[in-house]
Amino acid sequence: MTAIALLQTTELPRLAQPTIVAVAIVYFAIVGAIGVWATRRTRTASDFFVAGEGIGLAALTLAAMSATLSGFAFIGGPALVYTAGLGAMFLILPASVTSSMTSWALAKRMRLLGEVRGLVTVPDAIGARYRSPAAQGLSAVAILVAVVGYMATNLLALGLVIDAIFGTGLALGVWIGMAIVLAYSVAGGILAGVYTDMFQGTLMAVASVLVFLYTLKVGGGMGGISRTILENDPGFLSAFGAMGPVAALSLFFVFGVGSMGQPHVIHKFYMLREPRKLKWYPLLVTVALLVTMLLYFGVGVAMKSLVAGGEVAPLSRPDDATPFFLLRYTPVLLAAIVFSGVAAAIMSTVNSFMNIGAAALTHDLPVALGRRVGNELLWGRISTVAISVAAAFLALLPGALVAFLGIFGWGLFASTLVPALAIGLNWEGATREGAIASISVGLVVTLFFETLAYFKVYSFPAGVTVSGASLVLSILVFFGVSWLTRQRAAGALDPDVALVMSV
Amino acid sequence: MARRNALLALLLGTLACAAAYASAFLPGPPKAWAGWALGIGTAVVMVAASALGAARGDKGIGRLKVPFAVTFLILAGGFAAVLVMPAPTGAADPLFLGLPAPAAIVLIGIGLLPLLVLPFAYALTFDDMTLSEDDLERVRAQARALQAGTASPAVEAPRAEPVEVEV
Repeated sequence: MTAIALLQTTELPRLAQPTIVAVAIVYFAIVGAIGVWATRRTRTASDFFVAGEGIGLAALTLAAMSATLSGFAFIGGPALVYTAGLGAMFLILPASVTSSMTSWALAKRMRLLGEVRGLVTVPDAIGARYRSPAAQGLSAVAILVAVVGYMATNLLALGLVIDAIFGTGLALGVWIGMAIVLAYSVAGGILAGVYTDMFQGTLMAVASVLVFLYTLKVGGGMGGISRTILENDPGFLSAFGAMGPVAALSLFFVFGVGSMGQPHVIHKFYMLREPRKLKWYPLLVTVALLVTMLLYFGVGVAMKSLVAGGEVAPLSRPDDATPFFLLRYTPVLLAAIVFSGVAAAIMSTVNSFMNIGAAALTHDLPVALGRRVGNELLWGRISTVAISVAAAFLALLPGALVAFLGIFGWGLFASTLVPALAIGLNWEGATREGAIASISVGLVVTLFFETLAYFKVYSFPAGVTVSGASLVLSILVFFGVSWLTRQRAAGALDPDVALVMSV
Repeated sequence: MARRNALLALLLGTLACAAAYASAFLPGPPKAWAGWALGIGTAVVMVAASALGAARGDKGIGRLKVPFAVTFLILAGGFAAVLVMPAPTGAADPLFLGLPAPAAIVLIGIGLLPLLVLPFAYALTFDDMTLSEDDLERVRAQARALQAGTASPAVEAPRAEPVEVEV
């Protein structure tokens, strides 16, 4: 089920109307301008990887929100609601809790640890917490594996959007999309990413609210939408929709608890200029997330209502739900903004992945091997190009490989990072052995069972997701191994890390 | 004590989720209790993770007990309600804010109500329970001391004598 988190691998309807093309061009021009501005301010590796620890609360909020949401929130998500009913909402429902939970568990400690140690990556925090280059390297490997898969899937989605707008063909669309994100990511690093995220996040939120208002208008208000659906398919609005309770609740578990292990989001805590600004972060980012996901819900139920009421023929492909609704029921300018918003959502996610992937390659893996790259800024840029090109090639491989690669990203991040980081930074009794064991279990279980499922050799029973099972296992292994090794290793903390953990 | 309780709750919640998943491997139809175990277990894990992060040494979580308890009740109560509630039957069903009861509980209860509790609890307790000016100054003093002793702390942090922390 985690597959649904990012996949957008089917072709979109042709969108090549002058207004949509013009808005897209303006959008890409603005992104380019921000990239040029950020490039002039990127002088060090710290600027490149953590924006020189110099961003404000608004930038952090919008960057975290933009990185969290990929194009799935605009295309695949509404399609899932249209198909699976209310059960699909369990994927985004945890958003009302996750930002606060992550702030308590991680934000303050990561930000302070970053300041004390000059950390620039998420594996850095694991390495510092456990005094373990092995744990740092292992978590970097997990991140790198997931990042390349995630990026390939997102680049494919970006190629589909560009092809739909400009008629470039898929392959050229992928390369153009990759080149645009790469241009500002290589030159301006995460600084460019954060400030384009601010622009992109604002665009996504505004577009989502406007489209939601149109869905209410078209459907006769929420009551009208509900009545039409209830007349024809009441099960759609039952608590779990077409899903079983375990499948829906599993989404809540994986996307709720797993949110504490998403490096492209939690990495941004390092960047906040003033740690005490975190005070209002959970409120702002939660509101931003919920507002931006109005479209996810609104378009899904509105299209279901229109189909149920006989006004629209059933969609041949659920992924057409958003394009169909926009092109038929909203002004073309709004449709254009949303399509640019889809590109924005994908690009902001890709940019974040590029950055953490490059950091894993040029910073964490060398540190794990006891070395350090001489010029991290230069090698960070080179790594960004290398990872992006590899992801683009993967995206264009024939067959369903890219779908497979995109499946396990969220779950892999969650199972490898949540125990070691979110629990470990708050529990002095956690041990290096526990961290290494849990990261290893998360990595192996996720890759092994996702591969078996992909080749149709073995799948878990209905309702059980690989992501959920691997997250549960890695947490239990973390507790178990930490307990078993408590006499030998528990409690050995550097004083500064102990101080940060006690604050 | 608060940390220990939070850790215990986190472990128990995870075990409940594990039991729910494990039940799917048992022969026979899906077990009705699996949804309960997963729902309640998830609520426990999420609240426990928040409490674990909020706890500071021996100070506990103080007045955050109330918002955490309320959030647990919202999540666990919401899951319990929709697990026992009958599915909507048709257009004659009463609507709440335009939604049938199960949908209203899911979207407004589980999906929105925590927004009115947790972020405000975080902000309103931030200065005295999360990060005060004094806390920040203490940490910064440590950072200055550390930086005075090494050029590249991220890679080779100075290794002072480890602090043995009681488990």
